[in-house]
Amino acid sequence: MAGQDNEAEKNIEIWKIKKLIKSLEAARGNGTSMISLILPPKSQISQAARMLADEYGTASNIKSRVNRLSVLGAITSTQQRLKLYNKVPPNGLVVYCGEIITDEGKERKINIDFEPFKPINTSLYLCDNKFHTEALSELLESDAKFGFIVMDGNGALFGTLSGNTREILTKFTVDLPKKHGRGGQSSVRFARLREEKRHNYVRKVAEVATQCFITADKVNVAGLVLAGSADFKNELNGSDLFDPRLQSKVMKIVDVSYGGENGFNQAIELSAETLSNVKFIQEKKLILSYFDQIAQDTGRFCYGVEDTLKALDLGACETIIVYESLDVMRYVLKNSAGEEVVINCTKEQAAADNRAIFQDKDTGSEMEMVSEQSLLEWLAEHYKDYGAQLEFVTDKSSEGAQFVRGFGGIGALLRYKVNFEQLVDESDDEYFDD
Amino acid sequence: MPQYSMPPQQQQYSGNPYMNYAPSAAPVAPVAPAKQEKPPMTLEEFTKQQAAAKPKPVAKAPMKLKAGGSGVSIKIGSGKSKSVSIGGTKSAAKPATLSATSETETSQTAQTSAPTATDASSQSSTPVDSKPPTPVNNAPAKSQTTDSPAESAAEVVNADQVVTQQAADVDEALLEELYNEKDHLSIIFMGHVDAGKSTMGGNILLQTGAVDKRTMEKYQKEAKDSGNESWWLSWALDTDKDERDKGKTVEVGRAPFETEKRRYTILDAPGHKAYVPNMIAGAAQADIGILVISARRGEYETGFERGGQTREHAMLAKSQGIDRLVIAVNKMDDITVEWSKERYDECTTKLLNFLKSLGYNKSTDITCMPVSAQTGYGLLERVPTDVCPWYNGPCLLEFLDNVSLTDRKLRGPFMMPISERRRDIGTIVEGKVESGVAKKGDSLLVMPNKVQVELLTIYSETEAEINNAACGEQVKLRIKGIEEEDVQIGFVLCSLANPVHTVTKFEAQISFIDLKSIITAGYSCMMHVHTAIEEVVFAELLHKLEPSTGRKSKKPPQFAKQGMRVIAVLQTTQNVCLEPFSEHKQLGRFTLRDQGMTIAIGKVTKLL
Repeated sequence: MAGQDNEAEKNIEIWKIKKLIKSLEAARGNGTSMISLILPPKSQISQAARMLADEYGTASNIKSRVNRLSVLGAITSTQQRLKLYNKVPPNGLVVYCGEIITDEGKERKINIDFEPFKPINTSLYLCDNKFHTEALSELLESDAKFGFIVMDGNGALFGTLSGNTREILTKFTVDLPKKHGRGGQSSVRFARLREEKRHNYVRKVAEVATQCFITADKVNVAGLVLAGSADFKNELNGSDLFDPRLQSKVMKIVDVSYGGENGFNQAIELSAETLSNVKFIQEKKLILSYFDQIAQDTGRFCYGVEDTLKALDLGACETIIVYESLDVMRYVLKNSAGEEVVINCTKEQAAADNRAIFQDKDTGSEMEMVSEQSLLEWLAEHYKDYGAQLEFVTDKSSEGAQFVRGFGGIGALLRYKVNFEQLVDESDDEYFDD
Repeated sequence: MPQYSMPPQQQQYSGNPYMNYAPSAAPVAPVAPAKQEKPPMTLEEFTKQQAAAKPKPVAKAPMKLKAGGSGVSIKIGSGKSKSVSIGGTKSAAKPATLSATSETETSQTAQTSAPTATDASSQSSTPVDSKPPTPVNNAPAKSQTTDSPAESAAEVVNADQVVTQQAADVDEALLEELYNEKDHLSIIFMGHVDAGKSTMGGNILLQTGAVDKRTMEKYQKEAKDSGNESWWLSWALDTDKDERDKGKTVEVGRAPFETEKRRYTILDAPGHKAYVPNMIAGAAQADIGILVISARRGEYETGFERGGQTREHAMLAKSQGIDRLVIAVNKMDDITVEWSKERYDECTTKLLNFLKSLGYNKSTDITCMPVSAQTGYGLLERVPTDVCPWYNGPCLLEFLDNVSLTDRKLRGPFMMPISERRRDIGTIVEGKVESGVAKKGDSLLVMPNKVQVELLTIYSETEAEINNAACGEQVKLRIKGIEEEDVQIGFVLCSLANPVHTVTKFEAQISFIDLKSIITAGYSCMMHVHTAIEEVVFAELLHKLEPSTGRKSKKPPQFAKQGMRVIAVLQTTQNVCLEPFSEHKQLGRFTLRDQGMTIAIGKVTKLL
């Protein structure tokens, strides 16, 4: 159980970093005053501090006053941050310091320092007009990558699956003569032409596979899955044209009924066992188990912001499933009587109606805003208080897409059945009379 | 010969005037040159004007054509005078101008040639609006060259009679033209892997002489050499090396044969699970389905249990519009069966119950018969009574020869979903004509990419050149004006005047048959509609339907699960040719598949 908890926590950690990266990437500063500093594990704080001191000296010579001041300011705050640590944490250290320009055009100082969730193997010091987050992004993506080749009679598709991202590298269509495309007498010739075209197709697939999955003479995926209808996949696997380096990586050959994306999805599904430790598959499984609860009508599920939070308050949530880019905000307001009111809605909803939702229903006066936070953040901070687990999902898998579009991107598996008023109300005649 | 009294849908199609649409044009071409001296050019103009003049009663167009064709120039003039008056008031700008241009020359000739006749014609054309038959009543003149005003006036009186009579006449001619050969019937063999579909097809081909003995002997020898002697019959349809090596059909096999009564096209569907998409495309082209099931112990059971193809194929057949099924209980000669009645009954009763649940009527839609594809018993000839004393029904071909055909929509606009295309001195497309008639030289439209093409040649299934491609036929068409790469399977070749609709979003009623869990908006799967295979996404679930009454729910359902019927909006990535189910069944029904399973069937209710 402890392992599972760790796993879940790690996922949340990952999600937080993802969010951080997003905000850092968007940030732009004045001149080259934004410092990105990454120290790998087992490096020395003192060394970095000395380096910064040297930098400080160099930066004092910057001609432009504004730039000089901001760079010096950034370096100073970096030094301050470093002083908080007496040694580099086991997973390394990441520091971002600098003044960014906010949407309103104001300047804001940002100082961030944290230990990444897993060892970071990069040493970096950069002073630029933006923060450098590539190393962090890499950290997120470093899960094993699997390659997929889906080929059928109409075309081939090359894709990869890594972590929870599914990517289509390339696809092309072919035009193979069908079985009875021949006209009468010269059937032998047609058969031969057909064979030739099929052979050429296999050759082309083999060549494209080499392009896609071999970079710098190395296979760039941990394993390959060949999928397809009919015999093409086996033909490819057995073909001399198929690069032996790739051939050795083939983990599984699966039968799918369609080519294209649907075939890709099915191939992922079918190779789930082999790829069971890939995040994507875990995500699919999670949502499927959620769907199963609904299909069996156990009542131990809920969806939508309202119900989920209600269930959370009741302590009924076992696992909360949220879409990782859910755009619901959580507003905490104070009305004239001094009571706190919590409103969850999207930013658009808040902006619409001339902020009518922020008005006190009784008095009509606008309530005082106590805090404004994305619901996701709030959940990430508080889920433990309710004894629940939090899982982030993407909309990359077909199940994920359904979850997001069909259930609003938030739902929970419950420990016991909860009756939500909303579900009970109109069961009398929910059908039109015609 | 059935009469074709104009079907109601006729009228809605007639609106577009500047194309004489296929069915009406069809009979004219062959007839015209034989009968008359007028150049066909004017003829066409004439029809155009007729069409332009009267949007409503176009069903009568063929008659008018004939009248014009046979009549003298005077008559054409008369027809014209009318078209002018109405064209101005009623029809759209385009038709008006069209008729006007063509009119000028011809009417001049008409006037100069016979003033008396114009008189008569003007007389007859006065009650124009209310009486569509007026021009037609000039038509009887086909037999005579001289035409007195009195006669034509008399004819005005009983114009209606004439019309009906004429309609009968023309239809007869049209049908004669179209059915100068025997009726055509497409049959598809379906069923689980190794039920003996290809073998049965092969044996029929052999016995009817569609494949010559020598070839089959060669196959027999080769099959023996390869160690699978019993496969030789299926080699007539499994022409691929792969297929022969494994004894497993991959693509739908196809072969024509003929009996004394009818022409047939065999479609041999693959039974393997992975090739169900191919089977669906085949089923879309068939009139009658033959569900081959193996009576052999164990084989029947695997085919019928959940996930077996006997079930799935039967369901797909229904959803692709095959309303008549023959259940051929095969392998009756097997040692585990030995023509046992008990086994036969066991196989059929269970299956019949299942088919009933799909909506087949046990007594009218389904026929069961015991056969043995390998030995040929029950295919061409009845099973000898000493072998099987308890069955005395018809054998397979006997039954097929006598089965009544469904009414074919010869009058509709031409539509043919393309099931195959290739290059062979020009672009060749194949398919089954779903409605209407096209003749050589017609201008047609390839949808959804809207390319106008000319129909150069029409080949029948047997590679013979024919004049018309009529509804229900399997044809190969050579077309000009489009490259083979620009045609895709699932495109529809249709008439210029009434092109098929193309959409990327539509509303449909869907019943879910087999769902592992639930689906919601955002679910994507593959859709099979006529011959097309497209990826679709559920954009929105609108209503669920109450199981017993079919009433719509007020609230959209959050999700759909097995057994539910819903109204949903589906979205495709590309343009797809579709028609609402109410207007055109074959282009309005579809099947949804995902993860190698058929999850739902549905029909298009509205195009968005």
